[in-house]
Amino acid sequence: MTPAILVRNLHKSYGDFEAVGGIDFEVRPGEVFGLLGPNGAGKTTTVEILEGIRPRTSGEVTVLGYDPGVDVKALKDRIGVCLQSTNLPEKLKLHEAMTLFGSFYSRTVDGNKLLDRLQLGEKRNSYYSQLSGGQKQRLHLALAMINDPQLIFLDEPTTGLDPQVRLEIHGLIQELRDDQRSILLTTHYIEEAERLCDRVAIIDSGKIVAHGSPKELMATTLGASTVEVKIEQPLPPGDLPKEIGADRIEISEDRKQISVTAKKPARAMVELVKYIDQLGLELADIHLKRGTLEDVFLQLTGKKLRE
Amino acid sequence: MNKYLVSIFTNLKLTSRDRMALFFSYAFPLMFFFIFGQMFGSGMGGGIVQVVSSVLIIGVLGNGFFGAGMRAVSERETNILRRYKVAPTSAAPIVVSSLVTGWVNYIPSATLIITLAHFVYGMPWPERWFSLFVFLTFAVIAFRALGMIVASVVNSMQESQIVIQMMYLPMLFLSGATFPIDAMPVWLQSVAQFLPASHLYNGMQGILVKKESLLENWMALVAMLSTIVVASFLSIKLFRWDKEDKIRTSGKAWLLAAMVPFFILGIYQSYSHESIGKNKQLARSLRRSRTILIRGARIFIGDGTVIAKGALLIKDGKIQQIWEGDGPEPKSVKADPIEAYGKTILPGFIDTHIHLGAPGGIPEKYPADSKAMHKAVARELAAYLYSGVTTVKSVGDSIDLMRDMAKLTDSGEKLGAELFYVGPMFTTEGGHGTEYFKKVPAAFRKQLEDSIVRLPKTKEEAVRMVGELKPQGVTGIKAILEAGGGSSHFNRMDTLVLAGIAEGAKANGLPLVVHTGDDRDVGDALAVGASAIEHGSIRDVISDGHLAAMAKMHVAFAPTLAVVNAVNALAAGNLDILSRSLFEQSAPRGLIEATKKALGKEEKKEGFAFPEDLILSNVRRAAAAGVMLVTGTDSGNVPLIHGPAVHRELQMLIKAGLTPIAALKAATSNGAKLLGVANRIGYIKPGYEATLLIVDGNPLEDMSVTERVSLVFFKGERVARGDLFDDDLEETAK
Repeated sequence: MTPAILVRNLHKSYGDFEAVGGIDFEVRPGEVFGLLGPNGAGKTTTVEILEGIRPRTSGEVTVLGYDPGVDVKALKDRIGVCLQSTNLPEKLKLHEAMTLFGSFYSRTVDGNKLLDRLQLGEKRNSYYSQLSGGQKQRLHLALAMINDPQLIFLDEPTTGLDPQVRLEIHGLIQELRDDQRSILLTTHYIEEAERLCDRVAIIDSGKIVAHGSPKELMATTLGASTVEVKIEQPLPPGDLPKEIGADRIEISEDRKQISVTAKKPARAMVELVKYIDQLGLELADIHLKRGTLEDVFLQLTGKKLRE
Repeated sequence: MNKYLVSIFTNLKLTSRDRMALFFSYAFPLMFFFIFGQMFGSGMGGGIVQVVSSVLIIGVLGNGFFGAGMRAVSERETNILRRYKVAPTSAAPIVVSSLVTGWVNYIPSATLIITLAHFVYGMPWPERWFSLFVFLTFAVIAFRALGMIVASVVNSMQESQIVIQMMYLPMLFLSGATFPIDAMPVWLQSVAQFLPASHLYNGMQGILVKKESLLENWMALVAMLSTIVVASFLSIKLFRWDKEDKIRTSGKAWLLAAMVPFFILGIYQSYSHESIGKNKQLARSLRRSRTILIRGARIFIGDGTVIAKGALLIKDGKIQQIWEGDGPEPKSVKADPIEAYGKTILPGFIDTHIHLGAPGGIPEKYPADSKAMHKAVARELAAYLYSGVTTVKSVGDSIDLMRDMAKLTDSGEKLGAELFYVGPMFTTEGGHGTEYFKKVPAAFRKQLEDSIVRLPKTKEEAVRMVGELKPQGVTGIKAILEAGGGSSHFNRMDTLVLAGIAEGAKANGLPLVVHTGDDRDVGDALAVGASAIEHGSIRDVISDGHLAAMAKMHVAFAPTLAVVNAVNALAAGNLDILSRSLFEQSAPRGLIEATKKALGKEEKKEGFAFPEDLILSNVRRAAAAGVMLVTGTDSGNVPLIHGPAVHRELQMLIKAGLTPIAALKAATSNGAKLLGVANRIGYIKPGYEATLLIVDGNPLEDMSVTERVSLVFFKGERVARGDLFDDDLEETAK
């Protein structure tokens, strides 16, 4: 199958500054592809080039078979885009928004049905200004789908929304994936990427630093999981037993909290509990913290995602 | 559905829900409307049309700059336009829908204002309503387009405020919409011609006030259309969806590109001064539209009857109503009152015999070129108006000059007496009228002769020559039948040729007046059916038969006693007439002194003197025979400087034995009859032009009081007599 998006050696420079420094990736049909990176990493530039609203400096780009630098109009007609922080006129009614944006496309679906599907049916006659944050975002999703696109760009679709609403939007994105649409998602939220994306690319300073499914990425990363233990009495001085197999050990000042990072976290957990028990100490709490994309990111780029 | 239609409908719905937009489209103009209405006293006819134009223009400007410009910027700033960026569309539907929406919003608002003006302030419905509609349509779309391009070239809300105010304020204050533009210095008026709104104002006023058609405003229309095309195209091309996309500062130059049509128009106007002239005319129309009540005055009706104490209502340039007694309360008729107790209102005086090309005095310097000549004649016409002589007839002057001057005063661009003219005089080779050219160098003689006399040799030639004058705008024909006498002899025109002139005049519907020197001339003039006898006989008695024939055939008689009197006085070394206050008030500065000086230097020759007693007795007998006398002064002949001589003519008529009423009729209704305009001037009757003279005192008791001019009204305008000679000041300043 031809990929929905194919990017080869994409460059974008603004004068001397190279915003995108030769990246390659592809988005397969029906997959949710995540582009992760901090602000200024080149994410938005890349996405805008793909959407046909920004010219590229060099490289090969194909989106749904179109070159976004050439067949802009045909491309825009086929894709759905949910931009970050866009607005609509306050006194625009929802169904009017659907009609208005529908009028720009050669092929559209029933706007009312779309509103129903996004649980906005009852709000059909409301003004845009009367919507909550989540409802607005759902409306923007609906607008992005008015032309029944096979490829949808979602730029930070949950930024600024509260956790409850964020979950709601996640559900909708999963539904879109179930429709076999390809989705390119850019996000700050690691959990979002972990939860929604089939594959992710981590982009930093205009370069892709890692690439693969969230699981693969986490697996390739060293010391991904940490065992955290709390005890009632302080741990006596002395080293922990070698059997634990720790890569890194952290003990709090009052020596009541121990954090052990290990390649085999289950093994480490058993050995650690055994040791505490032998010392006759009372175990207050124990849990296993799994490695995250955040850790992967931190490890690869030396930065936190939300810097 | 078509994306243009959807965009337009959506935009319309949004505007109808936008309280601010509704406020600025409807409530705001209404506020201005009523404030201006009260300010200008529109209830008293005080330029409700001006108020309507102002409000409509403020509406167009607001609609364009704020409704389109500011809104587009604000939509970009709030990330609304960003959403369109990823849709497969150009900016065209957005720009087009903004233009259309502005128009749909504006037209009802304009209609509302015009309707209110009609019902509240009694403005007549616009006669050229379709022209107005089309003009406003172009205007509002052009200014929307300008607003859109402003939006396209600014980078932020602040910038848009600055750019918009920089365009809006000058247009508001210099276009004429809020301040009377004709009161501004000429250079500023020229600068204003570069502003689109000035043409908007000019065109709208033209259509509303002067009832002009679209075609007469084609230049403004073309400029607006070009602006629509250029500005729409550029704003689509330069449209920016995202506030992050900045346009370079040099990009603002595109705004100038959109205004290029108006720059071209401005350059044209500063060269032609067409609009400046038009503005003067428009301001004049405004001043002619006021409602005024004059109370308490004696009213000389014109037909000979007199109201001892009456009131007169002037409205829209016409006499609206006349009351005996004190008349109504000014407020009850929504009029500006003028108290005129003890004064006399007369129809404006008419001088049926003048020569404007000659100054009447002896200036130090004669006009050097055509421009100076035009200026001098305009000054002369103003002097007549100043003196209460509101209508004059030139009986022998350059036809081109007269046509230009008549146009200047008829249009209202300049104030001056209404001008009738015959153009060149018909005389014969070596006849009276040609003697003036003898002193002129041969090189110029031909040209001068061509412009001032016609010398037909045959009857056929005479008919043809008259026919040629008609299309050039003459309102009458003058022929000279005079053999001279005493020391000066002239070739007398062949009576066959005179018959030809009369035939041509009759065929072209032009009244023929004939200059006569003796009774035989009078008889021959009557034989060919002359409408008026000029001078009559200065050598012999006009026979009773001829006088009876004149009375029977309603032939007017202009005895030109003022010139007889003045020439005789001059011969006796008496120049007292130039010391009459009205002459001193109205003569061009320095002319009286220069004339006195020049005449003083001249050798005392055994001056030619008219037989005054004979002439006066002819006049008395004519009056007794029932001949219609008219006042003609022959001003232009030294020492009759143009302006007040009719007053002297009236005094001479009294001297000849006429009753004051008969004399005043000669200066008013009789003159109007001779000029064929007795249906609009010469009387004080409802429906007649409010062209009046108000004098201090009672001329029925003492004719000299007519010289004490208190007020002059011209076509409803209370003439600011003190400002009539403002051009003199300019001259002095140079």
